[in-house]
Amino acid sequence: MAATLTGRNTKLRDDLIRLLGAERVMDSALERHLYAKDAGVYRGNPTVVVMIETTEEAAQVVRTARRHGVPVVARGAGTGLSAGAVPEVGGVVLVTTRMNRIEEIDAENHTAWVGPGVINLDLSRATTPFGMHFAPDPSSQSACTVGGNIACNSGGPHCLSEGSTVNHILALEVVTDTGDVMIVGSGAPDPVGLDLRGIIVGSEGTLGIVTRALVKLTPNPPDVRTMAVAFATIEDAAATVSGIIAAGLIPAALEMMDQLMMQAIENWLHAGLPVEAGALLLAEVTGVTEAVEAEAEMIAGIAQSNKALSVQVAASPAERELLWKSRKSAFGAVAQAAPDYYLHDTVVPRTRLVEAMRQVYEIGQRYQITMMNVFHAGDGNLHPLMAFDASEPGRLDEVKAAADELVELCVEKGGVLSGEHGIGMEKRHLMPLLFTEMDLDAQARVKDAFDAEGVFNPGKVLPEGSRCFDFGRPVPEGAWV
Amino acid sequence: MGYQTPYAPTRSELSSCIQCGLCLPHCPTFRLTGKETDSPRGRLTAMTAVLDGVTGIDEVFTETISFCLGCRACEPVCPSMVPYGRTLEGARAEISAHKGGVLRRLRGWIMESWLGSPGIMRAVTWATALVQRTGLARIAPRRVRSGLRGLRRIGWRTPSLRGRTFEPDRAPVATVGLLTGCIMGPWFAEVHQASIAVLVRAGYRVVVPSGQTCCGALAAHDGAADGAGRLAVRNAAAFRGVDYVVANAAGCSAHLKDYRHWVPGDALSDDWRVRDITELVADAVEDGRLPRLEGGRGTVALQHPCHLRNAQRIINQPRVILEAAGYQPADIDPVCCGAAGFYSILRPDTSSRLGRDKADEIRRSGAALVASANPGCEMQLRSHLVGEYPVLHPVELYMQALSDATESRA
Repeated sequence: MAATLTGRNTKLRDDLIRLLGAERVMDSALERHLYAKDAGVYRGNPTVVVMIETTEEAAQVVRTARRHGVPVVARGAGTGLSAGAVPEVGGVVLVTTRMNRIEEIDAENHTAWVGPGVINLDLSRATTPFGMHFAPDPSSQSACTVGGNIACNSGGPHCLSEGSTVNHILALEVVTDTGDVMIVGSGAPDPVGLDLRGIIVGSEGTLGIVTRALVKLTPNPPDVRTMAVAFATIEDAAATVSGIIAAGLIPAALEMMDQLMMQAIENWLHAGLPVEAGALLLAEVTGVTEAVEAEAEMIAGIAQSNKALSVQVAASPAERELLWKSRKSAFGAVAQAAPDYYLHDTVVPRTRLVEAMRQVYEIGQRYQITMMNVFHAGDGNLHPLMAFDASEPGRLDEVKAAADELVELCVEKGGVLSGEHGIGMEKRHLMPLLFTEMDLDAQARVKDAFDAEGVFNPGKVLPEGSRCFDFGRPVPEGAWV
Repeated sequence: MGYQTPYAPTRSELSSCIQCGLCLPHCPTFRLTGKETDSPRGRLTAMTAVLDGVTGIDEVFTETISFCLGCRACEPVCPSMVPYGRTLEGARAEISAHKGGVLRRLRGWIMESWLGSPGIMRAVTWATALVQRTGLARIAPRRVRSGLRGLRRIGWRTPSLRGRTFEPDRAPVATVGLLTGCIMGPWFAEVHQASIAVLVRAGYRVVVPSGQTCCGALAAHDGAADGAGRLAVRNAAAFRGVDYVVANAAGCSAHLKDYRHWVPGDALSDDWRVRDITELVADAVEDGRLPRLEGGRGTVALQHPCHLRNAQRIINQPRVILEAAGYQPADIDPVCCGAAGFYSILRPDTSSRLGRDKADEIRRSGAALVASANPGCEMQLRSHLVGEYPVLHPVELYMQALSDATESRA
C-alpha cells in the first residue's frame, strides 16, 4: 500500500462515481479540506470522500479502494478528538452519516439493530417510548454516531455504573479488508466460539468497517436523584469521591468540574452553577425510590463531612437536564477562553486524583496554558482542557508537549493512556509507556490477521515499529512460531 | 483570493468555532444530506478556508453557503457562542461581490428598490390581487405558485398607516415605533391592525414613522449588503426618538436587533432598542396590562419561527399570549419550515421538503388552527397545509379573543 497519497486521484474518483453517483462522491479542494479533520487538532488529507448508504456499497468501496491501492478511513459525525477519522496518509474517507436507520427495536429482549450513522441521542430518544435507552453517553452524544462510539469504545458520565460501549454491543456486521461481510457476536448473551466483539469495538476503524450493530438497550431507572455539590477546593471534592466509593456506593455518575470551567459554562448557559466555589461535584443515583433517597442522603452526608459548601438536589427533570447540559457542553464553552482547545483524556486510579490534579495545574503553569478541568471523577478519568491560540508560532507544539507530560504523569501513577477518546494519531507515540514490545507486537498481529495489507485506517493506534518480527519471511516448515 | 468587502466574516468571528460538531444534528440541511459541507461547522470551516486562501470563492463554496437556510438553529446550541448568522450574511455578501452576474444583481435591485418602495409594492400588490381573483396563478411558474397559494386574500389597495399615531386612553407606558415593513403592510394588513389595537390596549403610544422602509433583512440574507445597509440607515433615522422599535414579523425584528452591524456608529441612536411584538404583548399580559381571557378556545399548533426562537431566543412569549387568549398551545418541532425568505423561490425542492414535513407534523398535533409570528413561515405553512387550517399571528388570535370577550360582555 502506498505510504502517502496527496492530491486528487481522478481514476479512483470516476470509479466511485460509477458506483455511487456524483452526488455521493466529493473531491474538490474545499470538500477535501472539510473532511481533513475531526473535532481534535490533527489534520490529514483525504483523496476522496464518499457517502455510503448500504452495507453492499461499503463493501464495494473497500474493493474499489483496494484495487487502486488506496486506504479507507471510516467517519461518522467527526466529533472524535484523537484523530481516529483523520485520513493521515490520504485515501477514501467513507462517511456513514446516511446509514442512520434504527432498523428494529426488540422491546422484549432490549435490543435494536442500528446503522453506524445513528446519532447516539437519537437512539435513546427513539427507545424512550419503550422505557429504554442506549447507556453510553459521551458528552458529544447529541451529535456523535453509534459507529464512532463503537470505534472508540466511548464512555460517558454514566459508564461508571453501566460500563463503556463494549458492554452494550451484542453483534456487529463488519465489512472486511477483502470487501466481504461478516457478523461477529449474536443476540445470545454468551456467543459460541471466540468472542471477537471486544476486538472490533475500540479498534478505531483499523480492522474493518462496521455497517450495522445489534445494541443492548438499558431500561430507564424507575427513579433518579441528581445532585450538585459545591466545594471550596478540588481536594475536598476528590475526598468526597473517595468517600462515596469507600462507602460501597456506585452512583450512576460522579462528575467534577473546576471553577474556570464552571465560569465558562455559566457564561453561556446561565444554569445557576455555583461559580464562586472551587469545585463542583455532580452525583447521580438511580434505582427504586427508596434506594435513591437513601443513597442521595448518604452522599450528602459524606459531602458535608468533607466541607461541602452547598448541596443542591435537582427538583425537576428540567433542572436535572440543565445540570447535565452544563456538564456536556463544557468542552465547547472553553472557546470563550481562547480560540483553540485541546481536550485531553487520561485515567488515574481514583485514589490518586488529588495529587494528579495538583500536578495537572502545575503543568499548566509551567507551560503558561490555561487548564480547565471537567472529568469523570468516579472512574478517575481526567479531561484537562487546554485553551490556547494556535496562531501563535510554536504554541501547538508546546500544547502537545504539555499533553504528553499529562499522560506520562497519569501512567506513572498507575493510570492508562485514554479513558474513552481512543488513541488515533494523538497518543500512538505514547503507547510504549503502557505496553511492552511483546504487547505491541501482539496487537500488531491482530491487525495483520484482519487487514494484512493495511487497507483500514493505516498508521492509527499502533506506533511505527510495533512489529517485532519480519512476518514477510516464509516460515520454515515444521518450525514453531 | 481572500475576501474583499467590509462585510466579510472576520478572523475573530470564525475562530470562535472550535469545531466540536455539537451543531450538526440541529442543522436541517445536514439532516437532509449528512454532509460536512452542509453543516454549520463545515460552512464556518469553509469561510475560514477562503479567509486563509486555502480555497477561493468557487462553485463549491458558493453552493455550500447558498444551501444554508439561514435558520440559525446552530446558534442556541453552540457553547462557543459563534455568531453564525452574521458570518453567513458576510459570506453571502462576498459571493455577491465576487460573482456579480445579471440575475444576482437583479435580485439585489429588487430587494432594495422594490421592497423599499411603497409605490412599487402597491403595484405588486395590485397585480397579485388580480392573479388571486382571475386564476392566473395556475399558469404561474412552480416556484411562484407555491408562494401564491400561501398568501392571505389581499385587497386591491391597502390604506397606508405611515405618519399616523395611535394614543392609549391613559398616560402611555412608552412610545413604540411600528415597522410596517415591505410586504406586511399590504399583504398582512390584519396583523398590523391587531398589533396596533393590542399595543394601544396595553398602554403604548404607537407611532408609524413616515420615513421608514423595508428593514433590509431579505437583502442582507441574500448578500445584497450595500442595499441592506442603505435601507437600515433610512430606518435608523426614521425611528429616532421612540422608546422601542417594534416589528410583528420575526425576521424583521431579528434584523432590526442586528442594526449595529449595518448602520455606522453615529447614525444609530445610542438607545436603539428593538422588541418583537410578542415580547411587548407577553410582558403586558404578565404585568396585568392585558387581560388573561377565558380558556376553552381549543388547541392551537404553535410554530416557532427560526428568527424568533434561534435569532432572538424568544421561546415562551408566543405561548404566554396564546394561553392568555384562551388557547391550549401545542408546540411544533422548531426545525425550520423551509420558507427562509427568498429561499423558497431560489431552492424550491429543499423548501418544499421541509414544508411538507412541517405540515405533516401540524396534522398530527390535533390542533384546529396554527399560530405563526412570521409572515414567511405563515405563507409556507398555508401553502403546504393547502387550506386545511387557518394560519394566523398569535397577536391576531389574542385580538380576536379580546373582541369576542368584549362583545359577550356587551
